[in-house]
Amino acid sequence: MKKLVFLLLAASLLPIAAHAQPAFSGPPPSRAVVQDADRRREEYFSRIDEALAWKAASVKLDTPEAIMKMKDMSAIAAKLVRREDVAGCSAAVIEIMKTPSTGPFWMFPVACVAYTGRDLLSPEAKAAIRQAWRSTMQLRGDTENHWAMYYASLYLMSELYPNEPGDTWYTGKSSEENLAESRDYLIHWMDLMTTVGQGEFNPTGYLTEYAIPMGLMATWAKDPAMRLRARMTLDWLFADLAANSLNGVLRGPHARTTEDPVMQRWNDHASFYNWLLFGNTPPPAGYGGFGIYFATVARNYAVPEVIYRIAVDRDRDYVQRDLKRSRRRWRYSDVEMAPIYKTSYLRRDYAVGSYQGGRADPIQTHVWDVTWAVPDPRGAHNTMFSNHPHSSPVDMQMSFTAYPEAMIPNLAREGKPSYDEPDKILGASPYEQVFQDLDTVVALYDIPAGARHPQVNGFLSKDLVDREEDKSGWIFARGGNAFLAYRPLADYTLTPFRGYHQLPSPVGYKWERVVTGDTLLQSFHRKNGTIVQAASASEFASFDAFKRAIRALPLEFKLEPTPTVRMKTLRGKQIEVTYGKAPVIDGRPLDYAKWKLFEGPYLNAEKGSRRLTITHGRLKRVLDFATLAVTDSVSP
Amino acid sequence: MRKLSFVFLALMSAAAVRGASPAARHDLYLCAAVNKGYVIGSAIVTMNGLFLRDEAGGFRHIGNNDTSVRGAAFDPRDRRVIYLGANNGCWRSLDGGESWRITTSWDMTEPPDVEVDPNAPDHVYLALPDGVAVSSDRAQTWQRRETGLPARGKYTQVISVDRTRAGRVLAGCESGIYLTNDGGERWRRVLPTETTVNDLQQSPHDPRLWLAATQSNGAWFSRNGGKAWEKIAAFQGGETLYNAAFDPTNPKRLAIGSWALGVVTSEDAGQTWVARNAGLPESHHVWRIAVDPDSGRLYASVLEEALYCSDDFGRTWKSGGMEGSVVSRFVFRPAAAK
Repeated sequence: MKKLVFLLLAASLLPIAAHAQPAFSGPPPSRAVVQDADRRREEYFSRIDEALAWKAASVKLDTPEAIMKMKDMSAIAAKLVRREDVAGCSAAVIEIMKTPSTGPFWMFPVACVAYTGRDLLSPEAKAAIRQAWRSTMQLRGDTENHWAMYYASLYLMSELYPNEPGDTWYTGKSSEENLAESRDYLIHWMDLMTTVGQGEFNPTGYLTEYAIPMGLMATWAKDPAMRLRARMTLDWLFADLAANSLNGVLRGPHARTTEDPVMQRWNDHASFYNWLLFGNTPPPAGYGGFGIYFATVARNYAVPEVIYRIAVDRDRDYVQRDLKRSRRRWRYSDVEMAPIYKTSYLRRDYAVGSYQGGRADPIQTHVWDVTWAVPDPRGAHNTMFSNHPHSSPVDMQMSFTAYPEAMIPNLAREGKPSYDEPDKILGASPYEQVFQDLDTVVALYDIPAGARHPQVNGFLSKDLVDREEDKSGWIFARGGNAFLAYRPLADYTLTPFRGYHQLPSPVGYKWERVVTGDTLLQSFHRKNGTIVQAASASEFASFDAFKRAIRALPLEFKLEPTPTVRMKTLRGKQIEVTYGKAPVIDGRPLDYAKWKLFEGPYLNAEKGSRRLTITHGRLKRVLDFATLAVTDSVSP
Repeated sequence: MRKLSFVFLALMSAAAVRGASPAARHDLYLCAAVNKGYVIGSAIVTMNGLFLRDEAGGFRHIGNNDTSVRGAAFDPRDRRVIYLGANNGCWRSLDGGESWRITTSWDMTEPPDVEVDPNAPDHVYLALPDGVAVSSDRAQTWQRRETGLPARGKYTQVISVDRTRAGRVLAGCESGIYLTNDGGERWRRVLPTETTVNDLQQSPHDPRLWLAATQSNGAWFSRNGGKAWEKIAAFQGGETLYNAAFDPTNPKRLAIGSWALGVVTSEDAGQTWVARNAGLPESHHVWRIAVDPDSGRLYASVLEEALYCSDDFGRTWKSGGMEGSVVSRFVFRPAAAK
């Protein structure tokens, strides 16, 4: 397995402390809807400029020593966009190209600089870039985001240097062959996304690894069809981001996330895009690192108003159901890609999101949570959920071609420290089944004997207020303006949760465990379950009234032989959930086969359609990948 | 890159065991990575990919610096034609490693193994995570040939061509061993397994004798050319077996490499087996083993430790250089005429 590790990101974050990042360190932005289109545009450009100015100023290229030490391609890209230190940029590019790195994380920054600098860099610098694409083999990687970056970069570079023979490219293929292969893959990937759903769906971090290559393609691809495809893909990704974010914080399930953003929900690249496009949340430190590359082309992309309004202008609670897909499974699975049935319920004060459980990605999936709104998301652990800390060599082999025995011990140094830890709060399990109806979640666990970590973990945030273990078995707490009730179905213990703090390391990653102030609920029973109920504080006269309402809910459950919950929800639905069976709501079994690609007030698409309808109020945009058409309309 | 290659060569040569047989009749190629700590996106500061043992016993790097090379094959008619299985697909060189081309497209990725049919050398077989591909024009073009392989269960770790007959090939898949007699046009399962078949080896002494190693279903012999298989009692399953080797100099000597078991050998044609890990690093996570066809020297690649070698079939070991390496494949091929 070749892991994605963000060394380039790490390098780009090094100078963070030295320069002010107004949006990151200042007060949280206003969430008021900007009605005026010109002002929205001005503010968008202002945010782009803020990120680029910060990055450009983070590096000086005024001495030979500075140029020799320079490794940050995003700073070069930012300087080139701003027409600063052009001679220094050329000199630095020549130095950097002497030791090219490998793989998609090297390719897209270089493609970005090659294009931003094509009229600015010296002939020698451009020749150095061109030579690196001949001499240094680039790994394609093994994940969907790797391939998006790899092929978008190869596509653009092949267009930049057309009609060149195979011996001038590391692939051994001519410019035209590289271009054709890249185009074929990118269209194949778009077809998958627009028919059976995105693979690495709603990722907190990897969003940037799709947004950047599509941003570069949307700006620079010569073929108008590919340029349009990329722009439509950006709309698709950002509409999905808008509909799944709560005040600029991407929440709910993710195919992939990491140890910190699964609890500090704001702290990842997705918040850079919410900040940049919608202006309703602070950006993460360093503007997301890689986000700078998107910023270099962001002026060429304008988020459609209909998507902007989905993000910032909501006048109702809503349920959004989406169809996604799991990572490709090479082996030990009856299906190549499993369907992921996602449910989200978003309200002003909180949001609840989930998918049906099971494997989506082998390592970094987050299955469900309740996340509450906070005035300022920075540092807030505004979420609640449970999981089974699944760890399995067989799961590794499903997704990777390498032998698993060495893979698991190496994950920590490759940026995934918690995978094999019993107290982890990240990751999906084949032994978890989740049902959600509005703001009720039932997660059931049937963990077989012999499983590596036969326990269920629950995350109880440091930011919960008035947390109370009630005699009824419920744990009550307040999170922001949300009232929360968490019901473990088996005995448990509460211990301080320990997160992961990254240490400086010249090679790979190193970590130390740190107490975060949160609480880990651990229940050491293989047959197990969690019920969560949420409500707005405004719906009850008092917190005690909420507690009384929860205690009064008819609830029956049993764990043997199979975990089963039968209850009436706070919203009056009669539900019956049995592990391994379809959930039953008000007497009707839930039929996942009817799930659409998108279904909700804002996003709608039929499975297999290649056509997404984005709606807000009178505004409508239709992205039709079947006909390569974008249609905007305004209802009277 | 040339400078780095030179430094690496010097280091490898200095560290290597001296005294490789001056009369060696085979060249030894390694598919190896020396990349502890490497992650995608970082600069590669070591040399990885294909290596050739030199006369001093060191290893000379050939071709791309690729951390992902896991299989290598050669055209028996033309020493300059090399095929590699790697992350990007199947690389081919027609000029002895000076230049390379990825012969596959995006729809064939990460082949764990590549083999040339010695009796039909234009035919190249590629083990793929989602099946098998065959080329009949020296990897210029590829076709999927999977009839008889299951729709699910065709992850292929190893592909091995029977040297006695053109087009007779065994594939080690996640669901068992599959056999074709017609160059992949039709496959049939000859051994069902619950987990992946990691290696298939044909005896250099008796072409009817095959040895298979599996992820968790033990080790198996076939004595009729792969048509029927019998489980080796010493390996009842549970332990991951990575690969197997016959000693071309002694028909009674066999070896198996394993993550947990290390090196296990037999000197009575597989009747009894003994762990031979004394002298290896304590972890003895053995990634790959091989036996030198000229000297009977037993090689063991211990994960990210070094290449170890034994001249008494595992009773004692000494470092053979390649510190920090993982060897995915040993390939012996007849040496070029001087």
